[in-house]
Amino acid sequence: MKRSPILGAYAVAYLLFLYGPILILPLFAFNDSRIVAFPLSGFTTQWFGEMWADANLRKALGNSLIIALSTATISTALGIFAARSSVRYRWPGKAVVMGMIMVPLVLPEMIVAMALLVVLLTIGVPLSIFTIILGHVLICMPFAVAILTSAFQSLDKSLEEAALDLGETQISTFQLIVLPLVMPGILSAFLITFTISIDEFIIANFLGKGDPILSVYIFGQFRFPAKVPSMLALGTLLVLFSICMLAIAEYFRRRGIAKTGGKDSGGFL
Amino acid sequence: MTSEKPTMIEMRDVHKYYGDYHALRGINGTIRAGEFFSLLGPSGCGKTTLLRTIAGFEDISGGMIMIDGKNMAGVPANVRPTNMVFQSYAIFPHLTVAQNVGFGLRRDPRPKAEKQREVDEALEMVGLKGYGNRAAHALSGGQRQRVALARALILKPKVLLLDEPLSALDKKMREQMQMELIKLQRQVGITFILVTHDQEEALVMSDRIAVMFEGGIAQLADPETLYRRPNSRQVADFIGTMNFMPAKIVAETGDLVEVDSQGFGHVTLQGSQCMGTPGSNGSSIGFRPETLTILFENQQAVDRESMATVEEVVYYGDMTYYDVRIDGMTSPVRISMRNVFGRPVLDIGNRARVAWSPGALVLFR
Repeated sequence: MKRSPILGAYAVAYLLFLYGPILILPLFAFNDSRIVAFPLSGFTTQWFGEMWADANLRKALGNSLIIALSTATISTALGIFAARSSVRYRWPGKAVVMGMIMVPLVLPEMIVAMALLVVLLTIGVPLSIFTIILGHVLICMPFAVAILTSAFQSLDKSLEEAALDLGETQISTFQLIVLPLVMPGILSAFLITFTISIDEFIIANFLGKGDPILSVYIFGQFRFPAKVPSMLALGTLLVLFSICMLAIAEYFRRRGIAKTGGKDSGGFL
Repeated sequence: MTSEKPTMIEMRDVHKYYGDYHALRGINGTIRAGEFFSLLGPSGCGKTTLLRTIAGFEDISGGMIMIDGKNMAGVPANVRPTNMVFQSYAIFPHLTVAQNVGFGLRRDPRPKAEKQREVDEALEMVGLKGYGNRAAHALSGGQRQRVALARALILKPKVLLLDEPLSALDKKMREQMQMELIKLQRQVGITFILVTHDQEEALVMSDRIAVMFEGGIAQLADPETLYRRPNSRQVADFIGTMNFMPAKIVAETGDLVEVDSQGFGHVTLQGSQCMGTPGSNGSSIGFRPETLTILFENQQAVDRESMATVEEVVYYGDMTYYDVRIDGMTSPVRISMRNVFGRPVLDIGNRARVAWSPGALVLFR
């Protein structure tokens, strides 16, 4: 088939626009100059050292890890309940409830953050890391539920019946058959919600009390030109980290599909 | 011969509703110990539902199911003396073949070595000796089925339930597995209940068959009775091929029924050849294609003989199917003839002599 060269050029331009800026990040993170501009002046790892020496940044990283780990744990656990119940059981109002869980996916995050802030202040909940976790669970749930629903759906119901038939109880069947087979989906949901939480900015900024949070801290540091290179170094690490997490999540998702003998029906990567 | 066997499963007026849908409409029947029993019917007739109620995966909405003399009401699947081979085989993909087969022994308190020996024996029984350490998800369809069989039989159930176990296999493999299943059933002596929509499979494998339509058992009989004396046109139509001709009942005297029909004229039938309730209108006679014979050269009819015209010829190699119109009939009937060396295959338009016998006719009224 003959294709127009314009289409090829368009694809290349599109990808460059999308990923070019991200490639700039490591380039300047290793550039031996405080000024972010071409031409490059030399190789250095100084900015990584400077970044690590920043006590506030380490504090922010610690807080962010607490938030992301908590968010991932809570939303994955809740996601397991929601997905299992939506796939396996019938109950009144299921479509509405499942729809509501997915809504934050399409709501502007700004609106969610503002609404939460107003509600929390009105009912007198003090802002803290906990309130940020609350907001993050809200926006992470759709992702966890989507991944886990597909994991539970690819599970053949007769596998559970076979285990029951062979003398196991409902509970031991869940432990022996269901959990191991959806485990790749659970890991995948955990890693993706973790990744979403750790670089989330709007909710972290609105619902925090002022404790340093990674995304908010980075935004603040960009006001000082001297700090920019070390932030680029941090950004480089975060990009690497995100890619690793998504790759691991995708690996588990695909392995899960292969194990249960299903066909790949698309995913996040 | 089979009638001496004790009862294994008794079903009394079993009903099952899914919401408004009446899936089982009063099932009555007895399945005997050690018999190969089939539930045969088109999709949606309730045969799988009935199997699942016996297994305990579905509650019944009314009636009673007894297995080995015990009422199964409220008895969950994991404690019923039944095991199931699923249509999808339901092999646990994250376990090895041996772990799959030994799954049901997990709660068995006997020492590990003894259980291991039983797993090996079960694998050998289904022809998978030495496959124990293979990953279950890497098996072929036929091998999965064997694993499913071994896994279900290792618990020595009183009843083995098979839900369309051969439908996913290709024709050759299916025929081979049919023979193996029959042999296996004789070897272990366990009651097998097979669900199938394939009438040929049911005829080949079963001691007795329950033909099901729309949630009810239409006829429960051994294969030969089902084939030769189907009790309704619906059953006759579902099992094999049957020709139907409109007929008029002239007189019923005692056990004899006199019938007038196109082509065959006036015939007298025994009561055992007559299905349905006496006195209803709209009757027809039916007969299998092989009960009619085309006579060649100087062959003589044993019983009756009619003249016919060949209207269609379908050649199958070992068999030839002829659609012939017997003089006096308004539509053709199908005759199957085994091809014999040296005998010509007739052509469309040929005249032929057809031999038939009133004893092979069935009256549906």
